[in-house]
Amino acid sequence: MSTTGIIFDVKRFAVHDGPGVRTTLFLKGCPLRCLWCHNPESMLVQPRLAYYVHKCLHCGECVSVCPTHAHALFDGKHAFDRSVCTACGACEEACLGSALKNYGEAISVDEAVQIVIEDRDFYGEDGGVTLSGGEPLFQMEFCCDFLKQLKALGIHTAVDTCGCVAWSALEKVLSVADIFLWDFKHSDREEHRRLTGLPNDLILENLNKLVECGARIEVRIPLVPGCNDSEENLSATAKILKKLHVERVRILPYHALARTKYEALGMKNAIHDFSPSEPEIVLCAVDIFRSRGINAE
Amino acid sequence: MFSTFKQDRTYLTQKFRKDVCDPVTGLDLNTLKERLKEFTEPLVGESHTVIKAKAFEYVTKNVQIDVNPHDWFVSFGCWNRYDRPLNYLLKKWNSVVDQKHLSEIIPLINEFTKSGAVAMWKDFDHSVPDWDAVFRLGFPGLRKRARQYKDEREQSGMLTDEAKIYFDSIETVYSAILEMLERFHAYALANADGNERVLSVARCLKTLIHGAPTNTYEALQLIYTYFVFGEHIDHMQVRSLGNLDRILYSYYKKDLGDGLFTEENIREFFAYFLMQWGSINNYWGHPLYLGGTKENGETEINELSYLILDVFDTLSIPTPKIQLKINRNTPVPFVNKAMDMIRRGHSSLVFVCEPSVKRTMMAAGYSEAEARTFDITGCYEFGPRACHNSTAGAYLNLLKPLEWVLNNGSDPATGVAVGLETGGVEQYTTFDSFYSAYIRQLGHLIETSIQYVTEAEKYLHEINPAIVLSASIENSLKTAKDAFSNGTVYNNTSILCAGFGTLIDALMAVKEFVYEKNAVSLRELQNALKNNWIGYEKLRLKVLHSKNKFGNGIAAVDTYAVAVASFYAGKINLRPNARGGFYRASIHPARTFITLGEKTGATPDGRMSGDEMSKNASPTMGMDRNGVTALIKSVTSIDSAMFPGDFPLDVMMHPATVQGDDGLAAMRTLLNAYMEKHGIAIHFNIFDVKVLLDAQKYPEKYESLQVRVCGWNVRFNDIAKKEQDAYIRRAFNICE
Ligand code: SF4
Ligand code: SF4
Repeated sequence: MSTTGIIFDVKRFAVHDGPGVRTTLFLKGCPLRCLWCHNPESMLVQPRLAYYVHKCLHCGECVSVCPTHAHALFDGKHAFDRSVCTACGACEEACLGSALKNYGEAISVDEAVQIVIEDRDFYGEDGGVTLSGGEPLFQMEFCCDFLKQLKALGIHTAVDTCGCVAWSALEKVLSVADIFLWDFKHSDREEHRRLTGLPNDLILENLNKLVECGARIEVRIPLVPGCNDSEENLSATAKILKKLHVERVRILPYHALARTKYEALGMKNAIHDFSPSEPEIVLCAVDIFRSRGINAE
Repeated sequence: MFSTFKQDRTYLTQKFRKDVCDPVTGLDLNTLKERLKEFTEPLVGESHTVIKAKAFEYVTKNVQIDVNPHDWFVSFGCWNRYDRPLNYLLKKWNSVVDQKHLSEIIPLINEFTKSGAVAMWKDFDHSVPDWDAVFRLGFPGLRKRARQYKDEREQSGMLTDEAKIYFDSIETVYSAILEMLERFHAYALANADGNERVLSVARCLKTLIHGAPTNTYEALQLIYTYFVFGEHIDHMQVRSLGNLDRILYSYYKKDLGDGLFTEENIREFFAYFLMQWGSINNYWGHPLYLGGTKENGETEINELSYLILDVFDTLSIPTPKIQLKINRNTPVPFVNKAMDMIRRGHSSLVFVCEPSVKRTMMAAGYSEAEARTFDITGCYEFGPRACHNSTAGAYLNLLKPLEWVLNNGSDPATGVAVGLETGGVEQYTTFDSFYSAYIRQLGHLIETSIQYVTEAEKYLHEINPAIVLSASIENSLKTAKDAFSNGTVYNNTSILCAGFGTLIDALMAVKEFVYEKNAVSLRELQNALKNNWIGYEKLRLKVLHSKNKFGNGIAAVDTYAVAVASFYAGKINLRPNARGGFYRASIHPARTFITLGEKTGATPDGRMSGDEMSKNASPTMGMDRNGVTALIKSVTSIDSAMFPGDFPLDVMMHPATVQGDDGLAAMRTLLNAYMEKHGIAIHFNIFDVKVLLDAQKYPEKYESLQVRVCGWNVRFNDIAKKEQDAYIRRAFNICE
């Protein structure tokens, strides 16, 4: 039996997750709690059922399949009691409106390899497979075994990480990851804590070590209005990256919050709204890095 | 010196939409039509070829003309594509043929067409002239060549009465063409009033009257006038404007080298040239193609290929539609340019993969050179250059045989028994028995249709003798046979189909819900379909929600797609047709996925009565939920070599996926992967569902939003709400 991991999504023909066309596997679990998180379903390793109320047809198909009676139909209206749901996933397939989605599926390394191999013909010269999340290295063993197999097959690999993991985890995948996509949230320790729940000491330390090991790194900065898009922070970030000899930075503009997803997951309380990034601010950000000789886009 | 394109655009847009010609130059369209009838009446009894040649001459002598200072190209009074002067002759001769030759088979076929099992008409709309010959010889040279062939026959005592009629008609028609060019020329000189552009047109006409074109502008005028003579007067003989970058490159190089024209001049000629088709109100659009591979393996893409795309880009018109003949050697910047245009909404560009076509054509027996130099003719159909005349014989509704299976051979709407008696629903105790009943019914549909098409195509040249076209095709001259008879070397007939993906979904639904899950009996399902799912809404939702749909990379489903495709293709391919050629299977429905859908009841896949069905090799709209890689996997599990007619796929993607350089590279990767898997034609719709919904609400904001229907583009605002909804359904599955 190969190692098992918990994933919440597979994205095929992913175009913006590293070089070329890729298949991205999203693993569950993350140490950070970024206020702007796009994938709230990824925070915990445990599976969680999402109920998209706007899609519900109130057909009642889910009622009979649930072992814990979490679904009920009152006067032709569907009601869902999250407190008894064990996220077993049985209702997802039965649902006629595609209103139910269980985030979190156990998958073996062999199965995962099978999935990504199917799309191998689309990877072209540059593409391959990206591990993302959540924080993929939270499930270090799965990552390691999976990436090893991919390398044996000659498939290009990328690891999309927040860097907030034990160095030993990074060290382990070092030889089997062709590129690290390093999500850089904030340059300041305390701000980092305020925005993500944890300070950035470990992250900076790991990045430093990774650079020293000669790993290929692309730093990615999610530009969130009012959080980390000030000139001050971007300049400070650029300074840090320059010192570390990081050569490539990619600015990811913030679009809109995955509000419906939060609501569907019953995580309304965790919603923080931000307005989408202004195009000029994005251009300014790019310039700040370019002016310091860092290749940014 | 001249008015600018911007100033002239209004004139150009109107040119083929209303009378713009000078009234003093001839008869208006209605009078012309009346007089023409009077003129041809006494000719009854003569050969149709003779009558048509004389009618052609009558039109060229009497139709109104213009050489307008707002245009680089001349204007013909017979501008209306849907009201062409010779129409009435074709209509008349069509019914003569029906009465005289087809009366036996017509009643059965009428039931077929009435019930929507098949759509068929005698097709003249897929022939392409030998453009290289047209350029080499020009109008006078074409006439001269025909004369030589006639003389040879005469000397060898082979000039039969029929051959004489054939050659004399070419003489009449090409002389009429030259005379008409003289008319234009004289008119231009008389009315130029010092206008340099009109005088240039006159000089250009003069060259064309005396020989072959000598520069890019003359070459474009030649294409354009040849087109109007062949399509608007002689009727339906120029389905493609040809391989423009290849054909025109030497003129272009010479003009720049000699300093005759600047790059800017040439761009302007192209803008006016392309606008002619932007104005012609042809629902299907009119094709030209770019690219390909030279004999030495180098790409045909040149500076002119870029220039043409560039000019087309600035015009924002849905037609002409441009096909790009793509190979591994096609320069990346060219593909990028096309992809970039597509993602900005110029979706009338379609890629036709040369290696896949080559493979498919060689499997049908063509030589390597024929398979490399193929012409693209309609939406994406292909055939050997300069020596083929293909027709679209019949469009089969693949869902009809399913209705016959469920109703023991009767059509559920008309009640008429048109299918085979394969037994009542109770008799299909296993899915296998159900499936084999379907296959038998499909076989019946194919056989009956082919039987009819074979009969009908014996008389194509009696309905529309193709005089303009025949003179351009050397084999036609050699054999003294009309190009619509079997004058070209290859005279093949396509059998096309609508609803392939929907059929597979329907079969899978029966398999899953009737035979595997026992969720419904076949009798009940039949009842649900009869009631258009009313009272069975939940069942319908379950069916729609099932993952067993074609286009999702599911092996168990794709197996049936391969099986049905193989049966269909196997029954059609290489069977002899009536014109010395063969039949070829095509998986393209033109517009019949809508029109035949209207005549088809609810189907087991969850489709409602009257709804459209799937088109091309694509899945049912909205049923490809696993992304584009799974889609391509499913579709290319079918070997495209089984479809020498054609094998196109529609792909829909979200704008965010294709944005930036990464996005372009991704589109290219997709195209390459499709090509490596032997896919033939592929076109893209880049949509955001939000935009489509907004466009439905506020059409005025989206005047230029185009969608690709099948092998042509329309403005989103111009299609019915129901058709718009289908795009929206599919766009819902496409996420960033
Ligand atoms: S996931 Fe399982 S426990 Fe939760 S509602 Fe669905 S069926 Fe019930
Ligand atoms: S099965 Fe789905 S659509 Fe039906 S009531 Fe349950 S959640 Fe709603």
